[in-house]
Amino acid sequence: MPTQKPSGRCTRALLHRRFTGAGAVLLIAAFATDYAYYTTALWQWANFSAWLITAGLIVTLVASILLLINFATGRTSRLNTGTLILVTAAAVLSLVNAFVHSRDAWTSVVPQGILLSAVSTILLLLAGARGWSLAKSHTTGDQP
Amino acid sequence: MRTRTLRPMAALISFAALAACSSKGGDPNRQYGSDPYLPEPRQYLMPPMSVPKAIGWNAGETPTVPAGLKVEALATGLEHPRTLYTLPNGDILVVESNSPGTEPYRPKDFIAGKVKARAGAGSKGGNRITLLRDADGAGSPKLRTIFIDHLNSPYGIVLVGDTLYVANTDAILAFNYAPGVTQITSPGVKLADLPAGRIDHHWTKSMTANADGSKLYVGVGSNSNITENGLDVEEGRAAIYEVDRLTGAKRIFASGTRNPTSVAFEPQTHQLFAVVNERDEIGPDLVPDYLTSIQQDGFYGWPYSYWGSHVDVRVHPQRPDLVAQAIKPDYGLSSHVAPLSLLFTEGQQLSPAFANGAFISEHGSWDRSPLNGYQVIFVSFVNGRPVGKPISVVTGFLGKDNETVHGRPVGLALDRSGALLVADDVGNTVWRVSATQPGI
Repeated sequence: MPTQKPSGRCTRALLHRRFTGAGAVLLIAAFATDYAYYTTALWQWANFSAWLITAGLIVTLVASILLLINFATGRTSRLNTGTLILVTAAAVLSLVNAFVHSRDAWTSVVPQGILLSAVSTILLLLAGARGWSLAKSHTTGDQP
Repeated sequence: MRTRTLRPMAALISFAALAACSSKGGDPNRQYGSDPYLPEPRQYLMPPMSVPKAIGWNAGETPTVPAGLKVEALATGLEHPRTLYTLPNGDILVVESNSPGTEPYRPKDFIAGKVKARAGAGSKGGNRITLLRDADGAGSPKLRTIFIDHLNSPYGIVLVGDTLYVANTDAILAFNYAPGVTQITSPGVKLADLPAGRIDHHWTKSMTANADGSKLYVGVGSNSNITENGLDVEEGRAAIYEVDRLTGAKRIFASGTRNPTSVAFEPQTHQLFAVVNERDEIGPDLVPDYLTSIQQDGFYGWPYSYWGSHVDVRVHPQRPDLVAQAIKPDYGLSSHVAPLSLLFTEGQQLSPAFANGAFISEHGSWDRSPLNGYQVIFVSFVNGRPVGKPISVVTGFLGKDNETVHGRPVGLALDRSGALLVADDVGNTVWRVSATQPGI
């Protein structure tokens, strides 16, 4: 990770990035709780997964709104295409997964639910390795 | 930009989800009787919900009955009337009740709560029993009192000798009853605890007594649709209990009955029967709700299987040993009709067609399209067994557009004159169905 410039303007421009990361953490945690349900069949793990996915999607939605604001206010004008594709794909899969998790009991997780969680987790870890940012800031041109 | 990318995808997904649940239910006729058609179970992305909006009845509007019968409102303005019971002196008891209210556990529960409210199922119950005295049997009660107040989601009710038993959601209470009283203020004495607890998903406790009054039989519903609240909370649920009337000692008489909402003895054979609400969310034609004789120590499948040995893959771990024992119910009522009351007749006066058999109220479906139920049917019995196809008796609860609902039938009783009483917990009315020419 390159060092960030300690400019207030630059930090604000990155705001969406923090929400991308926070949403991803929740969605990745859902894979952990799905796995716990898969191994124990204790319903509370599946319950956690359903809430984690819902919360993760809400935070990711906030991130996408902030990204739009970043565009509208001219803080950025170029998308970070690779990361954007990874996060978008994970969000779409997680939306489907929220519906899968609305099923009752075992089949709310096994097999489709945990499979979707696992794929989302891989996509989000890749996005994390790329620094979470969905856009490139003006100030540095490349990494924000 | 990201949102723009998401939007068509989201639209696509919702379309796919809609497509997944747009499969229509088939003809209910294929699921009546002992050998109902059972399609392959399905798994959905979106829980299939289809709920008509509750609008109540305008002045002068009533349900519909066949020629030769008439229907009128016996009492209106009740607070979610559920069970009806006729006392030996002709007084009619109306149990006004609803769920004690449960906390949402999953994101899905919020949505389900909103849907229920739209269907008129969310309103608060009276937690009381109202007495109606229709002394001249003309269908217009001269007296209406609050008979017992401050109950806890009561449902089942039965009089044995001079003791009136009321099944609250958490316990059976015993009240001293003297013929003719119009109010009981003394607190009930607890006979036995019943499974309730924090979730109390299926909260109704249906109840009846055997012929000699020595035992009470109590239907206790499951704590979930299909164990999604865990197996621990299903301990002692989805079962029919036998309770010793004098000591309160109880035991599980039969199990695997997901939600036995009404229990009653067939009058000729003295065989215990129940109507049972089966599981949801595996298709519009799964699983048929049923009417069945209840065998002592019988296991009826829930949660592991349905209609005998059809395994439900949503339950984990599975129990092939129990599935092998699961009894096939006697008589399918078709899927998602939600039978809530079972009332046997004994050659009463309403019509010769209804001399031998049982009326069953169908509260109506919430997860099936087209809608199913929303009527009172009659199933004929021969030699103590249900036979043939059901006859629709009281209909017209649904609006003509099938998108609104005036009322939903719940409790059934016969009044002293043999008229059929129907509690309606959306219209908050008790309907009285009688012969246009008495004595036919």
